[in-house]
Amino acid sequence: MTEIIDQHQEGKRDVTFRVFRFNPQVDSKPYFDDYTISAERGITVLRSLNYIKEHVDATLSFRAFCQAGICGSCGMRVNGISKLACTSQVWDELDKCREPGIIRVEPLRSLPMIKDLIVDMDPLVDKMTRYSNWIDSTMPLADMGKKEFLISEEEFQRYDKATDCILCASCVSECSILRANKEYVSPAVLLKSYRMNVDSRDGIHDLRLAELVKDHGVWDCTHCYRCQESCVKSIPIMEAIHAIREDALESRGPRDTSGAKHAEAFMEDIEKKGKLVEATLPIRTNGVVWTLRNLLPMAMKMIVKRRTPPPPPLVKSAKGIKVFRAMFREMTEHVKQDHLKSHKK
Amino acid sequence: MKPFDIVIVGGGGAGLYAAMEAMKTNPALNIAVLSKVYPNRSHTSAAQGGANAALANKAKDDSVEMHIFDTIKGSDYLADQDAVDVLCSEAPKIIRELENIGTPWSRMEDNTIAQRPFGGAGRPRCCYCADKTGHTILQTLYEQCLKTGVLFFNEYFALNLSVHGSRSRGLIAMNMKTGKVEAFPAKTVIFATGGYAKMYWNRSSNAAGNTGDGQAIAYRAGIPMKDMEFVQFHPTGLRKSGLLVTEGARGEGGYLINKDGERFMARYAKEKMELGPRDLVSRSIETEILEGRGFDSPAGKYIHLDLRHLGADLIKSRLPQIREMSLNFEGVDPIEEPIPIRPTAHYSMGGIDTDNFGRTVMEGVYAAGECACVSVHGANRLGGNSLLDILVFGRIAGHTAAEEAGKFEPGSISEEELRESVEEIRTRMQPSGHYERYGALREELGQTLALNVGIFRESSLLHKGIQDIAELKERFKKVRVFDSSDVFNTNLQQVLELKNMLDLAETVAVGALAREESRGSHTRIDFPVRDDEKWHKHTLATLVDGKAIPGEKPVTMGRYELQERTY
Ligand SMILES: Cc1cc2nc3c(=O)[nH]c(=O)nc-3n(C[C@H](O)[C@H](O)[C@H](O)COP(=O)(O)OP(=O)(O)OC[C@H]3O[C@@H](n4cnc5c(N)ncnc54)[C@H](O)[C@@H]3O)c2cc1C
Ligand code: SF4
Ligand code: SF4
Ligand code: FES
Repeated sequence: MTEIIDQHQEGKRDVTFRVFRFNPQVDSKPYFDDYTISAERGITVLRSLNYIKEHVDATLSFRAFCQAGICGSCGMRVNGISKLACTSQVWDELDKCREPGIIRVEPLRSLPMIKDLIVDMDPLVDKMTRYSNWIDSTMPLADMGKKEFLISEEEFQRYDKATDCILCASCVSECSILRANKEYVSPAVLLKSYRMNVDSRDGIHDLRLAELVKDHGVWDCTHCYRCQESCVKSIPIMEAIHAIREDALESRGPRDTSGAKHAEAFMEDIEKKGKLVEATLPIRTNGVVWTLRNLLPMAMKMIVKRRTPPPPPLVKSAKGIKVFRAMFREMTEHVKQDHLKSHKK
Repeated sequence: MKPFDIVIVGGGGAGLYAAMEAMKTNPALNIAVLSKVYPNRSHTSAAQGGANAALANKAKDDSVEMHIFDTIKGSDYLADQDAVDVLCSEAPKIIRELENIGTPWSRMEDNTIAQRPFGGAGRPRCCYCADKTGHTILQTLYEQCLKTGVLFFNEYFALNLSVHGSRSRGLIAMNMKTGKVEAFPAKTVIFATGGYAKMYWNRSSNAAGNTGDGQAIAYRAGIPMKDMEFVQFHPTGLRKSGLLVTEGARGEGGYLINKDGERFMARYAKEKMELGPRDLVSRSIETEILEGRGFDSPAGKYIHLDLRHLGADLIKSRLPQIREMSLNFEGVDPIEEPIPIRPTAHYSMGGIDTDNFGRTVMEGVYAAGECACVSVHGANRLGGNSLLDILVFGRIAGHTAAEEAGKFEPGSISEEELRESVEEIRTRMQPSGHYERYGALREELGQTLALNVGIFRESSLLHKGIQDIAELKERFKKVRVFDSSDVFNTNLQQVLELKNMLDLAETVAVGALAREESRGSHTRIDFPVRDDEKWHKHTLATLVDGKAIPGEKPVTMGRYELQERTY
C-alpha cells in the first residue's frame, strides 16, 4: 500500500500566468504581467492566483468566495474562454495554451472594467430588474405561508435546469450580440426570464413578455450558441431563448418586430406549403445568414413540437442556394438533437 | 436616504429574509442591505442538503413536537427550549412562504413539497431542491428583494459600529469600488454576516469570506459572544482545500483507509463502520492521523476515501458531483485513485448573543443567522436546521427591527468617528521596516486552531492554542497592506478579515478551555463526559478593556428533561 503515498506529491510543472492588469487610478491602459510559479497536479487556476497574491504580488486583484464552483464570483477568461477560475485545473489548461506553458488570464468581456480581473456586475442586476426576474406570486397575501401550490414534476422539470444558474456572467462575456450592443438583454437574463415565465405560480407573464419583445430583447439574439457552449453549469440556454420566442409568437402573434413577423411567415411556409416561397422569405431583406440564424431554428422547433415532420426545403432562390440548403439540413439536425436532449433530461 | 431606519449587514439567507420582512412590516421605512459580496454569492448558496420542517408531506405522522425533541436532543440539551419551540413551529410556515414566492422545491408524487431523511431526525422532514437547496432559496430571496426595491449596497465592507453609551448610531463601512469609508447612520442595525468557521482556514468547508466580521464588530463594540467554543466538524473534507465531500460517498459504500491499508473504522464502530454519526467518524479519522497512521503530504496529513471498488459505472451514475469535486479540487479521479480527505470545520454554533426576537444587549442592534446564537443549536447543530434557523430568525429580526425602529432617535455619525476608521486603515497601509505576511499568519492561525482547538481538546493543547493566538495577534500589528490603491483593494479587505478572525479565535479557545466537559461538538480528552451539574449553561465572552471577560447564562428549559444523548 505504501507506493500510493507519494502519488499526490509527484510532479510539479512550471507555469507562467500572463495576467491582465489594469488599475484605473494609475494606468492609462491595460497591460499584462507574467508570473511564473511551480504548480503541482490538482491545483486550480484560482489557487494559483491566490498563491501569486500571497507570495508574489499582493496588488493582483480578482474576486473569489466559495472556491467550490457555487457562488459564481470567480468568472474570468482563462486561455480565452470565460469560465470559473476555481473549477479550472492548471494542468488541464496547460494543454490549451496558445503559447506553450503560458496561461492567459483576462477579465470577462462586455461588463465595465473595475480593476485587473474584476468587472462591474451592476449592469446585469439592472437587467434582472428591468425584465422582472422574480415571481410575482398569485397566492393571495392572506394565504401566504398557509398553503402550498401543487406543482407537478413535469412543471418542475421545465425550470429545474434553469435554476442552476449562478450568475457568473461567463455567458454574458461570450455573447456575440452583447459585445456590439451593451443594452442587449443578456443570455443569463433571458434564461431567468424564461424560468419565471414557465412557473405557474407567477402572475406577470404577459408583462415580462411584453418587455422581452421590445428592442434589445429576445429578438436580437443571433443564435450563435456561444452562451450555451460556455455555460459553466451546462444549462441549455438556447432552449430557453427558443421557448420565449415561441411563447411570444403564440401569445402575442407576429405583431412585435420584423423578426417575429418573419418567423411566423417562414413557419407557415414550411408547414402548410411544404416549401419555402422566396417572396415570403426575409432573405431578401435581411440576408441569408440572418435568416438562418434567427428564424430557422425556432421555426423548426415549433414544427417538431407540433409533431409535423419538416418537409424538405425547396428553395427557388438563385443566390446562396447551396449554402442555404446545406445549412438548413445542419440546422434541422441541430434543433432536433436539442429537442431530443431536452426531453431526455 | 440617510439616516436609515434599518441597516442590515449581510445579504445571505438571514439578511435577505430580514429585509423582505421589514419591508412587509412597514413599507415606509428606509432600509439598506450592505454586503461585502453580491447577495447571491453569499455562503447560503453552498447548502446542498435542505431545510427541516414538519410539513408531514412524506411521513404523515411527523409533528412539530417531534422536530422540537430531535433538535433539543441533537443540541446535547444546550439549546434554549423556548427558542427551539419558535424555530420548529415557524418552520412549516416559512417553507410554504418560500414556496409561495417561487423557491423551486423538489416535489413528491402528489405534487406537494418533497422531503427526505437527514441525520438526527426521527422522520424524513428535510425539504430540498435537488442538491442546490441553499442556492435556490438565496436566489428566491434576492429576486423578491429586487422586486420590492430593497436598497442594496453591494461590495461594501462593514468596519465598525458607531456606539454612544448603551446604543448604536449606525454603521461605518468601506465602499470596495472606491475605497471610500462611508457612514450609515441608522436607528437600528441587524447583523447577518454568517459564520466564523473559516478561521480554521484550509481546514474549513466554508467560503473565504466566512471570517466572522459581524461577530468581531459586535464584540469590539462590547456585545457579548455566546457559546463560541462549539464548532462543528464534518468528517470528509478534501485535503487541500477543506471543501466538503458529502455523506453520499460513504452512503454508497466508500471505505475509509489509513496508510497501512486498513479499514480503520472497524476499531471505532464495528457494525456501522463508515456510516457512523458525523462526530464519531470525525474523531476516528483524527485519531488515526494523530497516532501516525495517516498519509503525509505538503498540504498536511490525510487519509483515503476509497471508492474504487464501487466501479466506474456506479461512481459515474450515483456520485457524479463527488467525482467532479475530486477532479476539480484535488486532480484525482476516484475511479482510479482514492480521494485524500480529513475532517473539516463546517459550522459555528456560537455567535452574537441574542434573545428570541433577535435583540442583542445593545439597544437598536440585532443579529440573526449563523452569526447569531439564540440558541437553537446548542452544542451541536442538526443537518437541515441551519437554513431553517437563518430563515426563521432572519424574518423575526427583520420584523422586530421594523417595529422598534420608531422607538429610537435617528442616528448620526460624526466626521471624527469616520476619520478614526480611516486612520486605522491608513496605518496599515504605511510601509514599515519589518513586516509580516498576512497570508502566512492566516495559515498559521488555521493550523494552530485545527491542532489545538480542533476535534480533540485538552488543557495543555488549549493553553498552547491561546498562546499561539496571542502571538499571532502581536505579529499581526506588523502586517502591512501592499496594495496602495483605493479601488477594490482586496489585499486590504483580507487583512481586515484576518483581524476579525484573530479576535474571535481567542474567544473560541478561551471558551473551550473554560468548558471542562465534553458536550456535542466539544470533546475534551481530559474531561470526557458531559457534566450537567457544572456545565449545563451557556458561556459568554465580553470584551472589556481589550480583554475577553468570561461570563455565563442559564439554559432555558421546558418540557424536556436532561437525558443522555445516544443514537
Ligand atoms: C458546504 C456547506 C453545506 C451546508 N449545508 C447545509 C444544509 O444542507 N442545510 C442547512 O440547514 N445548513 C447547511 N449549511 C449551513 C448554512 O448554509 C449556513 O449556516 C447558512 O447559510 C448561513 O446563512 P447566513 O445568512 O447566516 O450567512 P451567509 O449566507 O454566510 O451570509 C453572510 C452575508 O454577510 C455578508 N458579510 C459578511 N461580512 C461582511 C462585512 N464585513 N461587511 C458586509 N457584509 C458582510 C456577506 O457578504 C454575506 O452576504 C451548510 C454550510 C456549508 C459550509
Ligand atoms: S445565442 Fe444569442 S444570447 Fe446566446 S451568445 Fe449568441 S447572441 Fe448571445
Ligand atoms: S447561464 Fe451559465 S454561464 Fe450564464 S451566468 Fe448562468 S451559470 Fe453562468
Ligand atoms: S469562487 Fe465561487 S464560483 Fe469560483
